[in-house]
Amino acid sequence: MKLIRPQWLGALALMSLASWAQSAGPSDPQIAAIVVTANQVDIDAGKLAESRSKSGDVKAFAKQMVTDHSAVNQSASDLVHKLNVTPEDNATSQSLKQGGDANLAALKKLNGAAFDRAYIDHEVTYHENVLDALDKTLIPSAKNDELKALLVKVRPAFVAHLEHAKHVQASLEKSSG
Amino acid sequence: MVKRRHASGKSTRACAALVCAMLAATLSAVPASAAAPTSHVVTIENMQFNPPSLTVKRGDRIVWINKDLFPHTVTGNTHAFDSRSIAANASWSYAPAKAGSYPYGCTFHPTMHGALTVQ
Repeated sequence: MKLIRPQWLGALALMSLASWAQSAGPSDPQIAAIVVTANQVDIDAGKLAESRSKSGDVKAFAKQMVTDHSAVNQSASDLVHKLNVTPEDNATSQSLKQGGDANLAALKKLNGAAFDRAYIDHEVTYHENVLDALDKTLIPSAKNDELKALLVKVRPAFVAHLEHAKHVQASLEKSSG
Repeated sequence: MVKRRHASGKSTRACAALVCAMLAATLSAVPASAAAPTSHVVTIENMQFNPPSLTVKRGDRIVWINKDLFPHTVTGNTHAFDSRSIAANASWSYAPAKAGSYPYGCTFHPTMHGALTVQ
């Protein structure tokens, strides 16, 4: 059995952000790329879960992830245009993308209760790590005030998503006995 | 029961609603008529209703303004009222006709809760 599931690479990438805090931290264009990629990864997973899950709770959660993370990305892209910043790909955004792709590939092999569990477990870990990255690296490193304000503004949504995911996770555990 | 819906998500509209609500609140503060209905504003921001609990009189109008980036709803737990989706920067108002306690929430975000008491 593998110790590290490939679909958790993205989560690990976010955790590695914490070590960035000791140095200069990511630049604003790099933060923009990390934010957009992190949201897109969750939108993609949500779309898959919306179409594949049979659970009403999981579908509703997935639909909400697609709606909310799309709105965050719309705001991020509006801001990036306004500030005339070009998001700059970096090791973290690339790892996030790879982790997201690996997660999708792993989820596509699953069905029914196994799919629901794997999707929701990943969502819990993902939101925990995004919050950690926001608090330890992204918000402290952001130099532009509007970019920092956007990160602060989206934080409560990630907290609510984490609580929602944990609630669904608990109900899945209960129903599976 | 009167419902009014602001469907489009224009921030100017939400601001206008806020200004109107504030104006109405100011006007109704004039002690000329004790029975004049009051307007109240609940801000939806940071995934919270603010103020989280509000007490109003029958016929008062409450305006919920969504200042988050994504849609929310204002939905009574017993479905006594339901805004349906309120877009970012849009608002929804409601004037309750019946006294009672109405816990409510956002159907999209189960962690969000508010309470409305109508006297």
